[in-house]
Amino acid sequence: MHIMEGFLPWQWCLIWWIIALPCLMLGIYQLKKVLNVDREALPLLGVTGGFIFILSSLKLPSVTGSCSHPTGTGLSTISFGPWITAVVCAIVLLFQSLFLAHGGLSVLGANIVSMGIVGPLVGYGVYRLLRDTSVNIYITVFLVTALADMFTYVTTSLELALAYPAGTGGFVSSFILFMGIFAVTQVPLAIVEGVVLALVFKYIVTLKPDILIRLGVFSEKKIDAARSEI
Amino acid sequence: MAYKYTLEILAGISIVAFCALFLYTSATMSGAEFAGSDNVGSGLIAKLSGNAVENFQPLIPQWEPPSGEIEACLFALQAAVGGILVGGVFGFWFGQARGRNAE
Repeated sequence: MHIMEGFLPWQWCLIWWIIALPCLMLGIYQLKKVLNVDREALPLLGVTGGFIFILSSLKLPSVTGSCSHPTGTGLSTISFGPWITAVVCAIVLLFQSLFLAHGGLSVLGANIVSMGIVGPLVGYGVYRLLRDTSVNIYITVFLVTALADMFTYVTTSLELALAYPAGTGGFVSSFILFMGIFAVTQVPLAIVEGVVLALVFKYIVTLKPDILIRLGVFSEKKIDAARSEI
Repeated sequence: MAYKYTLEILAGISIVAFCALFLYTSATMSGAEFAGSDNVGSGLIAKLSGNAVENFQPLIPQWEPPSGEIEACLFALQAAVGGILVGGVFGFWFGQARGRNAE
């Protein structure tokens, strides 16, 4: 989902940075607040951030004959919300733009908006919708993870279509073309990512249910039910 | 207890299905180069803007890994950082859980 350095006009780079910066500031504020209240949230942050590091480094082949990578943002979104996830994503994207020439500093704002803000925001919306319903915890994690991944790539397509509308058909035509490259490639990857992170969440529920309850991720009743289910 | 490993089985099936899909695609799709979607996207940008890919210059100068091998090494390093974090914390939690059970 990386927009490469130099591939976005400076005006768009500026717009995406202006959107990303307040979200990052809010994320840093929330992170300080969470860690001041409960230091035991730090290992959970390590795990959720660790999965963003691992999964975003894996370039996997897809049905379209091209490769893409999962984002791994679902666990962090559920555990800490979209703003803290944006901060973790910014660290990963900064690493990739400085040392791997994937993305870049001028387009970092745009890449943070797609992977760290919009994707997690969609996932968080799904999580909030399902959190207090009778829907199984693991199905919730699957949906949040898969949709956060998918919407990261939908947003990248949107960012590029806005900057490069097609000569005929304009923005819509361009958006469809970019979606064909980014979003279609991502469908199988998002599904596998959703299942794998649901499994990881099961191990967190098994080993450290108390931190999930203290952070208010799910109610004690739901966590107990999840522990007895599988 | 009958459903104890449902998620593990589902994860295994989805990974196997994903691999099978890749093998099928690589065997049947002509011209499937499995290039990164970022590069394919950059190609479309070039086409839409009427500018060759080579003409897009970084707005902010950027260091590039000198070879594909070094790039692969740095990607592996990124995954390793994540792996150390995940493995370390799960190990810590597992030890804590075992300690609680022993009490």
